[in-house]
Amino acid sequence: MNLSPEDITAILLSLKIAVTATLLSLPIGFATAWLMVFRHFRFKVLLEVLINLPLTLPPVVIGYFLLLFFGRNGWGGAMLRAAGVEFIFTWKAAVVASATVGFPLLVRSIRLGMESIDRQLLQASRSLGASWYDTLFTVVLPLSLRGMIAGSSLMFARSLGEFGATIIVAGNIPGVTQTIPLAIYDYASSPTGTSMALSLCGVSVALSVIILLLHEVIGKQLETRREA
Amino acid sequence: MKLSIDIQKRLGSFDLAMQSAIEGDHSGIFGASGSGKSTLVHMISGLMTPDSGELYLDDVCLYSSRKRVNLAPEKRRIAIVFQHARLFPHLGVKANLLFGYKRCHPEHRKISPEALIEVLNLGHLMKRGVNKLSGGEKQRVALGRAVLANPRLLVMDEPLSALDDSLRYQIIPYLRSVSEEFGVPYLFISHSISEMQLMTDQVMVVSQGRIAGISTPDQLARAGMASNPKGYLNLLRLNGAAEKNSLFHYPWGSGELIISDGKTGEESLFELSSRDIILFKQHPEAISARNLLECTVTELFDSDGRKGVVLESGGKTLVAEIVRSAAEELEISTGNTLFAAIKASAFRRLG
Amino acid sequence: MKTMKQFLRGIAAVLGFLMLTNMQAMATNVYVSAAASLKEALNEMVDKYATKHPGVTIQKNFGASGALAGQIEQGAPADIFIAASTDWIDYLMSKPLLDAKTRTDFAYNALVFAGATTKKVGGMNDLVKLNRIAIGSPKSVPAGDYAMESMKNAGVDQKLAAKLVMAKDVRECLTYAEMGEVDGAFVYRTDAMQAKKAKILFVVPEKLHSRVVYPMALTLSGATNGDAKAFFVWMMKSSDAKSILKKYGFILM
Repeated sequence: MNLSPEDITAILLSLKIAVTATLLSLPIGFATAWLMVFRHFRFKVLLEVLINLPLTLPPVVIGYFLLLFFGRNGWGGAMLRAAGVEFIFTWKAAVVASATVGFPLLVRSIRLGMESIDRQLLQASRSLGASWYDTLFTVVLPLSLRGMIAGSSLMFARSLGEFGATIIVAGNIPGVTQTIPLAIYDYASSPTGTSMALSLCGVSVALSVIILLLHEVIGKQLETRREA
Repeated sequence: MKLSIDIQKRLGSFDLAMQSAIEGDHSGIFGASGSGKSTLVHMISGLMTPDSGELYLDDVCLYSSRKRVNLAPEKRRIAIVFQHARLFPHLGVKANLLFGYKRCHPEHRKISPEALIEVLNLGHLMKRGVNKLSGGEKQRVALGRAVLANPRLLVMDEPLSALDDSLRYQIIPYLRSVSEEFGVPYLFISHSISEMQLMTDQVMVVSQGRIAGISTPDQLARAGMASNPKGYLNLLRLNGAAEKNSLFHYPWGSGELIISDGKTGEESLFELSSRDIILFKQHPEAISARNLLECTVTELFDSDGRKGVVLESGGKTLVAEIVRSAAEELEISTGNTLFAAIKASAFRRLG
Repeated sequence: MKTMKQFLRGIAAVLGFLMLTNMQAMATNVYVSAAASLKEALNEMVDKYATKHPGVTIQKNFGASGALAGQIEQGAPADIFIAASTDWIDYLMSKPLLDAKTRTDFAYNALVFAGATTKKVGGMNDLVKLNRIAIGSPKSVPAGDYAMESMKNAGVDQKLAAKLVMAKDVRECLTYAEMGEVDGAFVYRTDAMQAKKAKILFVVPEKLHSRVVYPMALTLSGATNGDAKAFFVWMMKSSDAKSILKKYGFILM
């Protein structure tokens, strides 16, 4: 295992971005999933397509659209600049890239969990005096936990591996936006960098394994707690 | 409790239009599956909105299309006990019980959790998770949960249908006692006439999306006598049995009933079909049936080709069922004295 | 059943079309891998050569010299290799994957700093005023390597460390500078001349870095390819080739 200080930075940066992207997306993902499962409105299909779009679009395309919106000449970019916020080519852009790409995975998992919630439980809750938002937090949320954890793990893992959108909208800046995949790409572009690249690949695999294991363990714990 | 209904709703090809009012603390809604009673219940509790009309509960307007009022379910204070308990799986028994209680305004909290747990015999279940409860235990917790919400009206939507017979009739005393003890009026929905007889004083009969009328459970039973394969079911609460020669002698009015499947030391509920009562104009000298009661005919009624004979014996009432030709042959009329023969095995113990 | 037939027919048509378009590619007889900064010059050279030698098809592959060296090492087809620094030619020589006898210096270039920023930037020390600077990733792009060398020798490398955006080749650097995503980029003068919005802010003093030279050589497979050898010689010696290089700003010996 051959890791330079820049590599360690890349690993820490990857983790920081993945955690931030996941935490930021959770409330939005939860709200979106709730809307899709429990609410009926016109053009719901449109929203469905929009949410799933990042799954089928090449990540570079997503990156490009993000760049168009948040870049120098975009709406988002103009607003952010007015607020004095630097966005493109910073770790914030990397977070948004990861969040966008992983969002459909998150929503999908939470939806699955929510769909399995017995509607009559919600009716019971309402009849016992809980308003719809009370029900949302005291019944829907706890029962969606499994889906939320599954979705978070998927999103986190996806985020660790995010490349295409990230490199377009956040660039490859060592110490600032160079995540593990970008660092590996850098090494891989050079024929002399193979052993370094392999070390980072190893770290990547190890991280993925840890996340998947954690996901299984937490999932099982939730199940057993419910049985007790 | 007074409930005024005047609502219309269309669901696909099903068309519902109901206008009626029902009064009383132990009321029922009776109808076959698909008659619209579930839909009605959903609209009363606010889980479904009618297309038009009005709903009033004790002067409180729950819904009015004219006045544009549609009270949210959580504001109606109508708690529901469902057919399947629907306990919250992520909460324990205690948290389930207190769910509605916590959300009840302190000024409305008249029922104390401790008292209720006592009445429903839930003390030993308090620390359990809801998945390890038996069907009957779940239903009792569901009942407790609904009552602890201190509702204006307790709606019980076929709460016993998912339970087996023995359990069903064990829960009924809890249902009644809780309501009486804590003064919570209820609306009991079922397709079982026996359950209606045990639980309600008046019944709203629903059929094909319309209200067919308001009657008493007894009238309902009588009307359904001919079509019910078990005829009119006489329901008898008996206690104080004395066992002799493997038969149980129960005091009944001024006389006694001899029953095969009895139990000493506790109160039991028995069901006796009107078709299992054989009538004699004269006292048969020797008869295999262990019960031979001298009765007076107090009332006769018709039910679709059958004749219902209301008999009074030792201060108690029984309804027997015979075919019309038999009634004519025996020339039965009110005031007659008849002898009713009932086999000891004809009594079915319910719980 | 009818739609199934139509479907199959459609697939056959697409496949046939793909095969046909591929046919052309299969006729290539010379593969050239060249540093990205040579793109326009080499394209024009190939076009010029093609008018005189219609039977020869030349396939060009542009990229960072390091990346190209890696590709050749992995077995990608290449008859001629033109790098933007001696490092990568030496690297392949050591394998050996190049015909040592044919190694020659093709052209020279100057390293500049170009950008669309409005800030006043006149020399290496002014760079600290900027937010973001694009350089080719030094691991595989010679321009980036020269840039790092210059920054170290000018003593500003530490201060500029967090501002550096890695690009995959010198063209990407230029794009970043053109789009305004970075304040400026280290590119070759020849690249800056192609720019529309980015202007040359200063020429990096030659003493700060090793000479920017483009060595080229035939690969071992290229050495057996008559068409490749002919083209190689033409690039080295012909006046047409030299005038094209001069046109684009390259320095000749």
